[in-house]
Amino acid sequence: MADAPVTTGPIRLTLMMGRRIPVPVPQPVTDALLSAQVTVASGQRSGFQLAFDLSKGGLINTALLPAGFFDPETRVVLVVTVQGTPTVLMDGVLIRQEVGISNQPGQSTLTVTGEDLTVLMDLEDRTGDSFPALSPAGRVAVILTRYASYGVTPLVVPELIPQMSLPTHRNEAQNGTDLGYISELAKANGYVFYLDPGPVPGMSRAYWGPEVRLGVPQHALNVNMDALSNVDQLTFAFDGTAREEPSARVQIPTTKLSTLLPLPELSILRPPLALKPAPALKKTKVKDAAKKETAPALAETLAKAMESADAVSGSGQLDVVRYGHVLRPRELVGVRGAGITYDGLYFVKSVTHNLQRGAYTQNFTLAREGLISRTPVVRP
Amino acid sequence: MTNGSDAPLEAIPAPTSYPRSSRYHDTPVALHVDPDGRQTPYLKRRLLPDPARLGTLAEHTVSVGDRPDLLAHHYLGSADQWWQIADANPVVDPRELTATPGRRLRIALPAGVPGAVDG
Repeated sequence: MADAPVTTGPIRLTLMMGRRIPVPVPQPVTDALLSAQVTVASGQRSGFQLAFDLSKGGLINTALLPAGFFDPETRVVLVVTVQGTPTVLMDGVLIRQEVGISNQPGQSTLTVTGEDLTVLMDLEDRTGDSFPALSPAGRVAVILTRYASYGVTPLVVPELIPQMSLPTHRNEAQNGTDLGYISELAKANGYVFYLDPGPVPGMSRAYWGPEVRLGVPQHALNVNMDALSNVDQLTFAFDGTAREEPSARVQIPTTKLSTLLPLPELSILRPPLALKPAPALKKTKVKDAAKKETAPALAETLAKAMESADAVSGSGQLDVVRYGHVLRPRELVGVRGAGITYDGLYFVKSVTHNLQRGAYTQNFTLAREGLISRTPVVRP
Repeated sequence: MTNGSDAPLEAIPAPTSYPRSSRYHDTPVALHVDPDGRQTPYLKRRLLPDPARLGTLAEHTVSVGDRPDLLAHHYLGSADQWWQIADANPVVDPRELTATPGRRLRIALPAGVPGAVDG
């Protein structure tokens, strides 16, 4: 028993589809799945692409495709189980299907692409819905309750600089679609908005808040460490012009005098990951700050500074079987073996999952604000 | 100007120290306060999933020398997932699982992951 090989394989992919409530797909659909690609990035919507084998007399071509099984707005949930631990990769809806018919037998394919559930928030223009006496976080929480039937549970972090305006003075109203308005509010506060699928299939967490650069780092990425290496390749870049130092001038309504706003400390929301942060070579001005109230202008300046703080980026590829876990985006990860300058903790900006029969690789990008690790060791 | 020290960050749930492969990863943490004010955090009771609702991956007939961790390595790919076999075959003591040769064990998929359906 001890020497017996692992029979069922350490990686299992479960595909669930359905109109509104996803259910496991029939076995012929699972068998026809050729490849799956899922792209998840911090602060952006996620997308997926599935390719199916489209044989002439198969179940997909004769029954499922004409019956609308792969029609737009079908919900798709992808769960991958690596070493007995399930991870929900995607909870989204189909928006496009492509059928490629080939003269060669076995070469016809059905390719479906889709995006995560935020695409549903981008369908209806709700310009004009007003939110009297609600802070940006309160407005986001109100909007997100509309999507509770899709299993979206909101996690809204109050904004750092309170921006409650009096209903007698100013009445905030929505501009554009739900997603557009939420993203606009997030950008104005230096926050991100994304849907994080899981922990169980059919649920996802809608997060509106700062990028979480806290918590227990994931298992370290080892490079150039002989047998211990678990990354195929890793490249780093240090861009000197990436970081900007914005400043804003506001006008005091009574005296009409303009004054320069002091830039608050960034590290409240972003604990530094590097010992030597990159210098800000570029000095920029926040446009139209004088027309705004002080609190939104300050929040925008802070957002601009946070957005551009990451000067060091890394990218690479890993094999999940060798790494032993699924690398998750929007979390911290340690890097070992890259030398004193580039070792240490990084924030995982984006991850692309590439699943094929017998292969599961991930392409990832990392980011942090400078060089040299702050921690003497990273968790292996 | 700002909300004090880190009031907005309190809305972010504290990360659990249990890895995702642990059975206590999603178990909520409670706080016990002694009469003298000393605070002791503890894990709440972990509720077992209903074995009938777990998707079946395989069936295994116990033979002499089987251990739950060896079965977990064989079927699930990781020896430290033996507790999933115990979840699917409820016993009081995990050693009971492989104590009787000939006993049929159900190897189940993790909770929440549905099994395959026949088309």
